[in-house]
Amino acid sequence: MHCTTNMAAPLNNKPDCWRSPEVYKHHEQQKVCISRPKYREGRKAKAVKVYTVNLESRYLMVQGVPAIGVMTELIQLCALYGTVEEYRPLDEYPAEEFTEVYLVKFQRLPSARAAKRNMDEKSFYGGVLHVCYVPEYETVEDTRLKLQDRRSFIARAARNRAKEKEKTDAVQESPASSVKIPARHEETFENKNTRDASGPSHYSEFPPLPLPPQKLKNSYRQKNHSGIVQKEDKMGTLHNAISNIEQQELESFGSKPTASKSDQGPEGRLYLNPISEARFTPRVAHLENRKRKIEESNESAVNVSGENEPFIGPKLPEQPKLDMEDDSLNTTLNLIRSTMKQVGSAPDIRPIQKKAKPRRRI
Amino acid sequence: MMRKDESTEAPERFEYLQSLVTEFQNTDSEEAKEQVLANLANFAYDPKNMEYLRELQVPDLFLDMLTEENENFIEFGMGGLCNLSMDPECRDVILQSGGISLVTNCLSNRREETVLSAITTLMNLATPTTRSQISEPGILQCMLRFSLAESPRLRNLATVFLQDCCSEEQVRQAQQHMQGCQTAVGIPLPKE
Repeated sequence: MHCTTNMAAPLNNKPDCWRSPEVYKHHEQQKVCISRPKYREGRKAKAVKVYTVNLESRYLMVQGVPAIGVMTELIQLCALYGTVEEYRPLDEYPAEEFTEVYLVKFQRLPSARAAKRNMDEKSFYGGVLHVCYVPEYETVEDTRLKLQDRRSFIARAARNRAKEKEKTDAVQESPASSVKIPARHEETFENKNTRDASGPSHYSEFPPLPLPPQKLKNSYRQKNHSGIVQKEDKMGTLHNAISNIEQQELESFGSKPTASKSDQGPEGRLYLNPISEARFTPRVAHLENRKRKIEESNESAVNVSGENEPFIGPKLPEQPKLDMEDDSLNTTLNLIRSTMKQVGSAPDIRPIQKKAKPRRRI
Repeated sequence: MMRKDESTEAPERFEYLQSLVTEFQNTDSEEAKEQVLANLANFAYDPKNMEYLRELQVPDLFLDMLTEENENFIEFGMGGLCNLSMDPECRDVILQSGGISLVTNCLSNRREETVLSAITTLMNLATPTTRSQISEPGILQCMLRFSLAESPRLRNLATVFLQDCCSEEQVRQAQQHMQGCQTAVGIPLPKE
Protein backbone atom coordinates (compact mmCIF):
# COMPACT_ATOMS: atom_id res chain seq x y z
CA MET A 1 0.00 0.00 0.00
CA HIS A 2 2.79 2.37 0.84
CA CYS A 3 3.95 2.07 -2.69
CA THR A 4 1.48 4.58 -4.01
CA THR A 5 1.84 7.32 -1.50
CA ASN A 6 3.88 9.37 -3.92
CA MET A 7 1.25 9.25 -6.57
CA ALA A 8 -1.81 11.37 -6.85
CA ALA A 9 -3.56 10.07 -3.81
CA PRO A 10 -7.11 10.82 -2.91
CA LEU A 11 -7.88 11.14 0.74
CA ASN A 12 -11.11 9.25 0.98
CA ASN A 13 -11.56 5.67 0.12
CA LYS A 14 -15.24 5.10 -0.34
CA PRO A 15 -15.83 2.32 -2.77
CA ASP A 16 -18.60 3.66 -4.97
CA CYS A 17 -17.92 5.62 -8.10
CA TRP A 18 -19.90 8.63 -6.93
CA ARG A 19 -17.76 9.28 -3.90
CA SER A 20 -16.67 12.81 -3.23
CA PRO A 21 -14.21 13.94 -5.82
CA GLU A 22 -10.47 14.43 -5.73
CA VAL A 23 -8.46 16.87 -7.72
CA TYR A 24 -6.02 15.04 -9.96
CA LYS A 25 -3.22 16.38 -12.02
CA HIS A 26 -4.84 15.34 -15.28
CA HIS A 27 -7.79 17.62 -14.56
CA GLU A 28 -5.60 20.65 -14.80
CA GLN A 29 -5.21 22.48 -17.98
CA GLN A 30 -1.54 22.27 -18.80
CA LYS A 31 0.38 25.13 -20.23
CA VAL A 32 0.32 25.15 -23.98
CA CYS A 33 3.64 24.73 -25.64
CA ILE A 34 4.80 27.79 -27.55
CA SER A 35 8.24 26.70 -28.63
CA ARG A 36 7.30 24.31 -31.40
CA PRO A 37 8.78 24.85 -34.81
CA LYS A 38 6.25 25.60 -37.48
CA TYR A 39 6.11 22.18 -39.05
CA ARG A 40 5.10 20.61 -35.79
CA GLU A 41 2.46 23.15 -34.94
CA GLY A 42 -1.05 21.82 -34.93
CA ARG A 43 -4.24 23.68 -35.61
CA LYS A 44 -4.70 24.33 -31.92
CA ALA A 45 -2.11 25.27 -29.34
CA LYS A 46 -1.59 22.26 -27.12
CA ALA A 47 0.47 21.19 -24.17
CA VAL A 48 3.24 18.64 -24.46
CA LYS A 49 1.37 15.59 -23.33
CA VAL A 50 0.84 12.03 -24.45
CA TYR A 51 -2.66 10.67 -24.76
CA THR A 52 -3.26 7.03 -24.08
CA VAL A 53 -6.32 4.93 -23.59
CA ASN A 54 -5.75 5.28 -19.84
CA LEU A 55 -6.48 8.98 -19.96
CA GLU A 56 -9.67 8.57 -21.93
CA SER A 57 -12.99 7.83 -20.41
CA ARG A 58 -16.69 8.01 -21.03
CA TYR A 59 -16.82 10.07 -17.84
CA LEU A 60 -16.27 13.76 -18.36
CA MET A 61 -15.89 16.55 -15.90
CA VAL A 62 -17.12 19.96 -17.01
CA GLN A 63 -15.68 22.88 -15.11
CA GLY A 64 -16.45 26.56 -15.40
CA VAL A 65 -20.22 26.24 -15.82
CA PRO A 66 -21.76 29.56 -14.73
CA ALA A 67 -23.77 29.05 -11.54
CA ILE A 68 -26.96 30.49 -12.98
CA GLY A 69 -29.03 27.34 -13.18
CA VAL A 70 -28.07 26.15 -16.63
CA MET A 71 -27.62 22.45 -15.85
CA THR A 72 -30.38 21.45 -18.27
CA GLU A 73 -28.82 23.51 -21.02
CA LEU A 74 -25.44 21.95 -20.31
CA ILE A 75 -26.79 18.44 -20.52
CA GLN A 76 -28.69 19.28 -23.68
CA LEU A 77 -25.45 20.51 -25.15
CA CYS A 78 -23.69 17.30 -24.10
CA ALA A 79 -26.48 15.21 -25.59
CA LEU A 80 -25.63 16.62 -29.01
CA TYR A 81 -22.61 14.34 -28.97
CA GLY A 82 -24.21 11.14 -27.74
CA THR A 83 -26.41 9.57 -25.13
CA VAL A 84 -25.79 10.85 -21.63
CA GLU A 85 -26.27 8.05 -19.17
CA GLU A 86 -25.88 9.93 -15.93
CA TYR A 87 -24.91 13.34 -14.72
CA ARG A 88 -24.65 15.28 -11.53
CA PRO A 89 -23.12 18.43 -10.15
CA LEU A 90 -19.87 17.89 -8.27
CA ASP A 91 -20.65 20.25 -5.44
CA GLU A 92 -17.68 19.15 -3.40
CA TYR A 93 -15.19 19.74 -6.18
CA PRO A 94 -13.27 23.00 -5.77
CA ALA A 95 -14.72 25.41 -8.29
CA GLU A 96 -14.00 28.98 -9.22
CA GLU A 97 -16.35 31.55 -7.79
CA PHE A 98 -19.80 31.64 -9.38
CA THR A 99 -19.15 28.51 -11.38
CA GLU A 100 -20.16 24.90 -10.99
CA VAL A 101 -18.54 21.60 -11.86
CA TYR A 102 -20.47 18.73 -13.41
CA LEU A 103 -19.80 15.07 -13.92
CA VAL A 104 -21.26 13.64 -17.12
CA LYS A 105 -21.26 9.95 -17.95
CA PHE A 106 -21.78 9.15 -21.61
CA GLN A 107 -22.99 5.80 -22.80
CA ARG A 108 -20.08 5.43 -25.17
CA LEU A 109 -16.54 6.69 -25.17
CA PRO A 110 -16.60 8.18 -28.70
CA SER A 111 -19.45 10.45 -27.60
CA ALA A 112 -17.40 11.66 -24.66
CA ARG A 113 -14.49 12.22 -26.99
CA ALA A 114 -16.59 14.29 -29.36
CA ALA A 115 -18.11 16.25 -26.51
CA LYS A 116 -14.71 17.01 -25.07
CA ARG A 117 -13.31 18.09 -28.38
CA ASN A 118 -16.21 20.38 -29.16
CA MET A 119 -17.00 21.80 -25.76
CA ASP A 120 -13.60 22.32 -24.17
CA GLU A 121 -12.60 25.96 -24.01
CA LYS A 122 -15.86 27.04 -25.58
CA SER A 123 -17.90 29.78 -24.05
CA PHE A 124 -21.16 28.81 -22.45
CA TYR A 125 -23.55 31.35 -20.96
CA GLY A 126 -20.75 33.77 -20.35
CA GLY A 127 -18.30 31.28 -18.89
CA VAL A 128 -15.57 29.29 -20.56
CA LEU A 129 -15.91 25.54 -20.13
CA HIS A 130 -13.03 23.31 -19.26
CA VAL A 131 -13.83 19.72 -20.14
CA CYS A 132 -11.61 16.79 -19.20
CA TYR A 133 -11.82 13.03 -18.97
CA VAL A 134 -12.17 11.68 -15.44
CA PRO A 135 -11.24 8.00 -15.71
CA GLU A 136 -11.01 7.77 -11.92
CA TYR A 137 -14.81 7.53 -11.89
CA GLU A 138 -14.71 4.34 -13.91
CA THR A 139 -15.55 1.04 -12.36
CA VAL A 140 -13.27 -1.95 -12.94
CA GLU A 141 -15.73 -3.14 -15.56
CA ASP A 142 -15.69 0.26 -17.30
CA THR A 143 -11.93 0.12 -17.47
CA ARG A 144 -11.93 -3.42 -18.81
CA LEU A 145 -14.48 -2.63 -21.50
CA LYS A 146 -12.62 0.51 -22.49
CA LEU A 147 -9.43 -1.49 -23.03
CA GLN A 148 -11.23 -4.26 -24.88
CA ASP A 149 -12.98 -1.79 -27.16
CA ARG A 150 -9.74 -0.09 -27.95
CA ARG A 151 -7.97 -3.36 -28.70
CA SER A 152 -10.68 -4.61 -30.98
CA PHE A 153 -10.83 -1.26 -32.74
CA ILE A 154 -7.11 -1.42 -33.47
CA ALA A 155 -7.34 -5.06 -34.49
CA ARG A 156 -10.14 -4.23 -36.89
CA ALA A 157 -8.09 -1.43 -38.37
CA ALA A 158 -5.16 -3.82 -38.79
CA ARG A 159 -7.38 -6.37 -40.52
CA ASN A 160 -8.73 -3.74 -42.87
CA ARG A 161 -5.21 -2.69 -43.71
CA ALA A 162 -4.31 -6.28 -44.45
CA LYS A 163 -7.36 -6.66 -46.66
CA GLU A 164 -6.51 -3.55 -48.57
CA LYS A 165 -3.00 -4.81 -48.92
CA GLU A 166 -4.23 -7.97 -50.56
CA LYS A 167 -6.37 -5.98 -52.90
CA THR A 168 -3.55 -3.69 -53.90
CA ASP A 169 -1.22 -6.62 -54.32
CA ALA A 170 -3.58 -8.05 -56.85
CA VAL A 171 -3.68 -4.77 -58.70
CA GLN A 172 0.04 -4.38 -58.50
CA GLU A 173 0.73 -7.63 -60.32
CA SER A 174 1.31 -5.62 -63.44
CA PRO A 175 4.81 -6.48 -64.64
CA ALA A 176 6.66 -3.17 -64.76
CA SER A 177 6.28 -2.16 -61.18
CA SER A 178 6.80 -5.53 -59.66
CA VAL A 179 10.25 -5.73 -61.16
CA LYS A 180 11.24 -2.33 -60.00
CA ILE A 181 10.17 -2.33 -56.46
CA PRO A 182 11.98 -5.16 -54.81
CA ALA A 183 15.25 -3.48 -55.62
CA ARG A 184 14.11 -0.30 -54.02
CA HIS A 185 12.85 -2.23 -51.14
CA GLU A 186 16.21 -3.73 -50.42
CA GLU A 187 18.12 -0.57 -50.76
CA THR A 188 16.09 1.03 -48.11
CA PHE A 189 17.38 -0.64 -45.05
CA GLU A 190 20.98 -0.31 -46.03
CA ASN A 191 20.53 3.33 -46.76
CA LYS A 192 18.55 4.00 -43.71
CA ASN A 193 21.32 5.12 -41.44
CA THR A 194 23.21 7.19 -43.87
CA ARG A 195 20.05 8.73 -45.06
CA ASP A 196 18.94 9.70 -41.62
CA ALA A 197 22.25 11.30 -40.97
CA SER A 198 22.37 13.17 -44.21
CA GLY A 199 18.74 14.09 -44.42
CA PRO A 200 18.59 17.13 -42.23
CA SER A 201 22.00 18.38 -43.14
CA HIS A 202 21.06 18.61 -46.72
CA TYR A 203 18.11 20.70 -45.79
CA SER A 204 20.25 22.99 -43.74
CA GLU A 205 22.68 23.39 -46.57
CA PHE A 206 20.09 25.40 -48.38
CA PRO A 207 20.62 29.10 -47.98
CA PRO A 208 18.22 30.33 -45.36
CA LEU A 209 16.37 32.78 -47.55
CA PRO A 210 16.10 33.71 -51.17
CA LEU A 211 18.12 36.58 -52.43
CA PRO A 212 16.29 39.84 -52.20
CA PRO A 213 14.33 40.84 -55.23
CA GLN A 214 16.35 42.63 -57.81
CA LYS A 215 14.78 45.51 -59.54
CA LEU A 216 15.04 44.32 -63.06
CA LYS A 217 14.12 40.73 -62.47
CA ASN A 218 11.38 41.47 -60.06
CA SER A 219 8.48 40.73 -62.29
CA TYR A 220 10.07 37.54 -63.48
CA ARG A 221 10.56 36.36 -59.98
CA GLN A 222 7.06 37.02 -58.99
CA LYS A 223 5.68 35.24 -61.96
CA ASN A 224 7.74 32.22 -61.29
CA HIS A 225 6.77 32.19 -57.70
CA SER A 226 3.09 32.58 -58.22
CA GLY A 227 3.21 29.97 -60.92
CA ILE A 228 4.34 27.47 -58.37
CA VAL A 229 1.83 28.53 -55.85
CA GLN A 230 -0.98 28.11 -58.27
CA LYS A 231 -0.01 24.61 -59.13
CA GLU A 232 0.25 23.68 -55.53
CA ASP A 233 -3.16 25.03 -54.83
CA LYS A 234 -4.77 22.98 -57.50
CA MET A 235 -3.17 19.81 -56.32
CA GLY A 236 -3.44 20.40 -52.62
CA THR A 237 -1.00 22.27 -50.51
CA LEU A 238 1.51 19.52 -50.07
CA HIS A 239 2.10 18.75 -53.67
CA ASN A 240 5.28 19.89 -55.19
CA ALA A 241 4.93 21.77 -58.33
CA ILE A 242 6.99 20.74 -61.21
CA SER A 243 8.42 17.42 -62.01
CA ASN A 244 11.53 18.53 -63.81
CA ILE A 245 12.72 20.28 -60.71
CA GLU A 246 12.44 17.09 -58.86
CA GLN A 247 14.59 15.39 -61.38
CA GLN A 248 17.10 18.11 -61.17
CA GLU A 249 17.20 17.54 -57.49
CA LEU A 250 17.71 13.86 -57.83
CA GLU A 251 20.71 14.47 -59.95
CA SER A 252 22.16 17.14 -57.81
CA PHE A 253 21.96 15.10 -54.66
CA GLY A 254 23.45 12.05 -56.21
CA SER A 255 21.39 9.97 -53.86
CA LYS A 256 18.07 8.42 -54.62
CA PRO A 257 15.43 9.88 -52.43
CA THR A 258 12.82 7.70 -54.00
CA ALA A 259 14.74 4.69 -52.93
CA SER A 260 14.95 5.80 -49.37
CA LYS A 261 11.35 6.63 -49.49
CA SER A 262 10.25 3.51 -47.89
CA ASP A 263 10.30 -0.04 -47.31
CA GLN A 264 6.65 -0.09 -46.92
CA GLY A 265 5.90 -3.44 -48.21
CA PRO A 266 3.37 -4.04 -50.86
CA GLU A 267 0.73 -1.81 -49.44
CA GLY A 268 2.82 1.27 -49.19
CA ARG A 269 4.01 0.49 -52.65
CA LEU A 270 0.71 1.20 -54.18
CA TYR A 271 0.31 4.42 -52.34
CA LEU A 272 3.75 5.59 -53.12
CA ASN A 273 4.46 4.40 -56.56
CA PRO A 274 2.40 6.56 -58.79
CA ILE A 275 3.46 9.72 -57.06
CA SER A 276 6.78 9.02 -55.48
CA GLU A 277 8.61 10.36 -58.46
CA ALA A 278 6.74 13.58 -58.24
CA ARG A 279 7.26 14.26 -54.58
CA PHE A 280 9.39 12.61 -52.10
CA THR A 281 10.70 15.27 -49.81
CA PRO A 282 8.87 16.05 -46.59
CA ARG A 283 7.02 19.27 -46.17
CA VAL A 284 9.86 21.22 -44.59
CA ALA A 285 12.01 20.35 -47.50
CA HIS A 286 9.30 21.49 -49.86
CA LEU A 287 9.44 24.92 -48.36
CA GLU A 288 13.19 24.91 -48.57
CA ASN A 289 12.98 23.75 -52.13
CA ARG A 290 10.71 26.54 -53.05
CA LYS A 291 13.19 28.99 -51.61
CA ARG A 292 15.93 27.32 -53.47
CA LYS A 293 14.06 27.44 -56.71
CA ILE A 294 13.55 31.13 -56.34
CA GLU A 295 17.16 31.45 -55.46
CA GLU A 296 18.22 29.46 -58.46
CA SER A 297 16.15 31.53 -60.78
CA ASN A 298 17.79 34.57 -59.31
CA GLU A 299 21.20 33.13 -59.73
CA SER A 300 20.65 32.24 -63.29
CA ALA A 301 19.47 35.77 -63.81
CA VAL A 302 22.60 37.07 -62.19
CA ASN A 303 24.75 34.95 -64.43
CA VAL A 304 24.67 37.17 -67.41
CA SER A 305 26.88 34.68 -69.07
CA GLY A 306 23.64 33.13 -70.21
CA GLU A 307 24.48 29.51 -69.62
CA ASN A 308 21.70 27.16 -70.40
CA GLU A 309 20.82 26.19 -66.87
CA PRO A 310 17.53 24.43 -66.68
CA PHE A 311 14.99 26.46 -64.86
CA ILE A 312 11.31 26.78 -64.64
CA GLY A 313 8.85 29.29 -65.82
CA PRO A 314 8.91 31.72 -68.67
CA LYS A 315 12.03 33.74 -69.24
CA LEU A 316 11.86 37.46 -69.52
CA PRO A 317 13.76 38.91 -72.37
CA GLU A 318 17.27 39.43 -71.20
CA GLN A 319 18.53 42.82 -70.41
CA PRO A 320 20.14 44.21 -73.54
CA LYS A 321 23.88 43.96 -73.26
CA LEU A 322 26.10 46.77 -74.07
CA ASP A 323 28.49 45.64 -76.74
CA MET A 324 31.93 47.22 -76.56
CA GLU A 325 32.86 45.53 -79.82
CA ASP A 326 35.93 44.06 -78.25
CA ASP A 327 36.25 40.69 -76.49
CA SER A 328 38.52 41.91 -73.78
CA LEU A 329 36.38 44.92 -73.02
CA ASN A 330 33.22 42.82 -73.02
CA THR A 331 34.72 40.35 -70.57
CA THR A 332 35.69 43.15 -68.27
CA LEU A 333 32.24 44.63 -68.57
CA ASN A 334 30.61 41.33 -67.65
CA LEU A 335 32.88 40.98 -64.67
CA ILE A 336 32.05 44.45 -63.44
CA ARG A 337 28.38 43.91 -64.05
CA SER A 338 28.20 40.69 -62.06
CA THR A 339 30.33 42.12 -59.28
CA MET A 340 28.00 45.10 -59.04
CA LYS A 341 25.05 42.79 -58.84
CA GLN A 342 26.58 40.75 -56.09
CA VAL A 343 27.58 43.82 -54.14
CA GLY A 344 24.21 45.38 -54.69
CA SER A 345 22.34 42.36 -53.45
CA ALA A 346 24.45 41.45 -50.46
CA PRO A 347 23.48 44.13 -47.93
CA ASP A 348 19.79 43.51 -48.51
CA ILE A 349 19.89 39.97 -47.25
CA ARG A 350 20.04 40.80 -43.63
CA PRO A 351 17.10 43.15 -43.23
CA ILE A 352 14.84 40.70 -44.99
CA GLN A 353 15.98 37.89 -42.81
CA LYS A 354 15.15 39.91 -39.76
CA LYS A 355 11.71 40.68 -41.02
CA ALA A 356 10.96 37.17 -42.06
CA LYS A 357 11.96 35.43 -38.87
CA PRO A 358 9.33 36.75 -36.48
CA ARG A 359 6.68 36.15 -39.10
CA ARG A 360 7.46 32.48 -39.31
CA ARG A 361 7.00 32.07 -35.60
CA ILE A 362 3.59 33.60 -35.32
CA MET B 1 -13.84 8.66 -39.10
CA MET B 2 -12.88 10.86 -41.94
CA ARG B 3 -12.67 9.13 -45.26
CA LYS B 4 -9.87 10.78 -47.08
CA ASP B 5 -8.36 9.40 -50.16
CA GLU B 6 -5.65 7.40 -48.50
CA SER B 7 -3.59 6.89 -51.60
CA THR B 8 -2.71 10.56 -51.71
CA GLU B 9 -2.44 10.94 -47.99
CA ALA B 10 -0.16 8.05 -47.15
CA PRO B 11 3.19 9.25 -48.50
CA GLU B 12 2.84 12.57 -46.77
CA ARG B 13 2.03 10.84 -43.55
CA PHE B 14 5.10 8.69 -43.81
CA GLU B 15 7.32 11.60 -44.71
CA TYR B 16 6.04 13.68 -41.87
CA LEU B 17 6.64 10.93 -39.36
CA GLN B 18 10.04 10.38 -40.86
CA SER B 19 10.92 14.02 -40.45
CA LEU B 20 9.89 13.78 -36.80
CA VAL B 21 12.13 10.80 -36.24
CA THR B 22 14.97 12.57 -38.00
CA GLU B 23 14.54 15.65 -35.88
CA PHE B 24 14.48 13.55 -32.76
CA GLN B 25 17.72 11.90 -33.71
CA ASN B 26 19.50 15.05 -34.72
CA THR B 27 18.48 17.67 -32.26
CA ASP B 28 20.51 18.37 -29.16
CA SER B 29 17.71 20.22 -27.48
CA GLU B 30 16.07 18.29 -24.67
CA GLU B 31 12.93 20.34 -25.09
CA ALA B 32 12.64 19.62 -28.78
CA LYS B 33 13.24 15.94 -28.10
CA GLU B 34 10.43 15.91 -25.56
CA GLN B 35 8.06 17.59 -27.95
CA VAL B 36 8.86 15.30 -30.83
CA LEU B 37 8.65 12.26 -28.61
CA ALA B 38 5.23 13.35 -27.40
CA ASN B 39 4.18 13.94 -31.02
CA LEU B 40 5.30 10.47 -32.03
CA ALA B 41 3.64 8.88 -29.03
CA ASN B 42 0.38 10.63 -29.88
CA PHE B 43 0.62 9.60 -33.51
CA ALA B 44 0.92 6.06 -32.24
CA TYR B 45 -2.66 6.38 -31.05
CA ASP B 46 -3.99 6.45 -34.61
CA PRO B 47 -4.02 3.02 -36.25
CA LYS B 48 -3.34 4.65 -39.62
CA ASN B 49 0.18 5.44 -38.45
CA MET B 50 1.07 2.06 -36.96
CA GLU B 51 2.61 0.66 -40.08
CA TYR B 52 4.74 3.70 -40.75
CA LEU B 53 5.90 3.98 -37.17
CA ARG B 54 6.87 0.35 -37.22
CA GLU B 55 8.80 0.87 -40.38
CA LEU B 56 10.60 3.86 -38.90
CA GLN B 57 11.52 1.65 -35.94
CA VAL B 58 9.68 3.88 -33.54
CA PRO B 59 8.86 0.95 -31.22
CA ASP B 60 12.58 0.62 -30.55
CA LEU B 61 12.88 4.36 -30.16
CA PHE B 62 10.21 4.26 -27.45
CA LEU B 63 11.86 1.30 -25.75
CA ASP B 64 15.15 3.19 -25.69
CA MET B 65 13.45 5.98 -23.80
CA LEU B 66 12.55 3.72 -20.90
CA THR B 67 16.14 3.69 -19.67
CA GLU B 68 16.63 7.45 -19.97
CA GLU B 69 17.10 9.65 -16.93
CA ASN B 70 14.68 12.35 -18.00
CA GLU B 71 11.32 11.41 -16.50
CA ASN B 72 9.43 13.00 -19.36
CA PHE B 73 11.27 10.81 -21.84
CA ILE B 74 10.23 7.77 -19.86
CA GLU B 75 6.63 8.88 -19.53
CA PHE B 76 6.23 9.76 -23.20
CA GLY B 77 8.08 6.66 -24.38
CA MET B 78 5.94 4.49 -22.16
CA GLY B 79 2.80 6.27 -23.39
CA GLY B 80 3.88 5.63 -26.96
CA LEU B 81 4.39 1.95 -26.23
CA CYS B 82 1.00 1.80 -24.56
CA ASN B 83 -0.54 3.15 -27.77
CA LEU B 84 1.53 1.04 -30.15
CA SER B 85 1.19 -2.23 -28.29
CA MET B 86 -2.55 -2.30 -29.05
CA ASP B 87 -1.59 -3.29 -32.58
CA PRO B 88 -0.71 -6.99 -32.90
CA GLU B 89 2.20 -6.41 -35.25
CA CYS B 90 3.70 -3.65 -33.16
CA ARG B 91 3.21 -5.86 -30.14
CA ASP B 92 5.34 -8.54 -31.77
CA VAL B 93 8.06 -6.04 -32.55
CA ILE B 94 8.08 -4.84 -28.95
CA LEU B 95 8.26 -8.43 -27.71
CA GLN B 96 11.16 -9.20 -30.03
CA SER B 97 13.09 -6.24 -28.68
CA GLY B 98 12.86 -7.50 -25.12
CA GLY B 99 10.03 -5.18 -24.23
CA ILE B 100 8.63 -7.12 -21.30
CA SER B 101 11.51 -6.56 -18.90
CA LEU B 102 11.95 -2.92 -19.93
CA VAL B 103 8.26 -2.26 -19.40
CA THR B 104 8.22 -4.19 -16.13
CA ASN B 105 10.92 -1.87 -14.81
CA CYS B 106 8.57 1.05 -15.39
CA LEU B 107 6.16 -0.38 -12.83
CA SER B 108 8.54 1.09 -10.25
CA ASN B 109 8.36 4.56 -11.72
CA ARG B 110 7.24 7.41 -9.51
CA ARG B 111 4.82 8.89 -12.00
CA GLU B 112 1.37 7.42 -12.02
CA GLU B 113 0.85 8.03 -15.73
CA THR B 114 4.01 6.05 -16.53
CA VAL B 115 2.92 3.17 -14.30
CA LEU B 116 -0.55 3.11 -15.85
CA SER B 117 0.92 2.99 -19.34
CA ALA B 118 3.20 0.18 -18.24
CA ILE B 119 0.33 -1.91 -16.87
CA THR B 120 -1.76 -1.45 -19.99
CA THR B 121 1.23 -2.25 -22.17
CA LEU B 122 1.94 -5.44 -20.25
CA MET B 123 -1.66 -6.51 -20.75
CA ASN B 124 -1.31 -5.82 -24.46
CA LEU B 125 1.90 -7.82 -24.59
CA ALA B 126 0.21 -10.91 -23.17
CA THR B 127 -0.01 -13.66 -25.78
CA PRO B 128 -0.23 -17.41 -25.30
CA THR B 129 3.56 -17.61 -25.52
CA THR B 130 4.38 -14.66 -23.28
CA ARG B 131 1.69 -15.15 -20.69
CA SER B 132 3.91 -17.08 -18.31
CA GLN B 133 6.46 -14.27 -18.40
CA ILE B 134 3.85 -11.60 -17.82
CA SER B 135 2.20 -13.44 -14.97
CA GLU B 136 5.41 -14.13 -13.11
CA PRO B 137 5.10 -13.86 -9.32
CA GLY B 138 6.99 -10.56 -9.05
CA ILE B 139 4.62 -8.79 -11.43
CA LEU B 140 1.55 -10.35 -9.85
CA GLN B 141 2.60 -9.25 -6.38
CA CYS B 142 3.13 -5.79 -7.74
CA MET B 143 -0.36 -5.81 -9.24
CA LEU B 144 -1.78 -7.03 -5.95
CA ARG B 145 -0.25 -4.03 -4.23
CA PHE B 146 -1.52 -1.71 -6.94
CA SER B 147 -4.99 -3.18 -6.60
CA LEU B 148 -5.04 -1.83 -3.05
CA ALA B 149 -3.79 1.58 -4.08
CA GLU B 150 -5.72 4.71 -3.27
CA SER B 151 -5.68 6.00 -6.81
CA PRO B 152 -8.79 4.57 -8.46
CA ARG B 153 -7.21 4.42 -11.89
CA LEU B 154 -4.27 2.40 -10.65
CA ARG B 155 -6.52 0.20 -8.56
CA ASN B 156 -8.88 -0.49 -11.45
CA LEU B 157 -6.20 -1.22 -13.97
CA ALA B 158 -4.32 -3.57 -11.65
CA THR B 159 -7.57 -5.35 -10.86
CA VAL B 160 -8.27 -5.84 -14.55
CA PHE B 161 -4.76 -7.21 -14.97
CA LEU B 162 -5.22 -9.70 -12.13
CA GLN B 163 -8.57 -10.83 -13.47
CA ASP B 164 -7.65 -11.07 -17.14
CA CYS B 165 -3.96 -11.87 -17.44
CA CYS B 166 -3.51 -14.71 -14.98
CA SER B 167 -5.38 -17.52 -13.29
CA GLU B 168 -7.00 -17.28 -9.89
CA GLU B 169 -4.59 -19.94 -8.74
CA GLN B 170 -1.64 -17.78 -9.70
CA VAL B 171 -3.12 -14.85 -7.80
CA ARG B 172 -3.60 -17.04 -4.73
CA GLN B 173 -0.02 -18.17 -4.88
CA ALA B 174 1.22 -14.61 -5.26
CA GLN B 175 -0.87 -13.59 -2.28
CA GLN B 176 0.66 -16.35 -0.18
CA HIS B 177 4.10 -15.29 -1.25
CA MET B 178 3.33 -11.74 -0.27
CA GLN B 179 2.93 -12.83 3.33
CA GLY B 180 6.51 -13.97 3.24
CA CYS B 181 9.06 -12.54 0.91
CA GLN B 182 8.11 -9.60 -1.29
CA THR B 183 9.60 -8.40 -4.49
CA ALA B 184 10.52 -4.81 -5.14
CA VAL B 185 8.69 -4.58 -8.44
CA GLY B 186 6.29 -1.67 -8.45
CA ILE B 187 7.70 0.12 -5.46
CA PRO B 188 8.58 3.59 -6.63
CA LEU B 189 12.24 4.40 -6.72
CA PRO B 190 13.36 6.90 -4.09
CA LYS B 191 13.79 10.48 -5.17
CA GLU B 192 17.46 11.16 -5.50
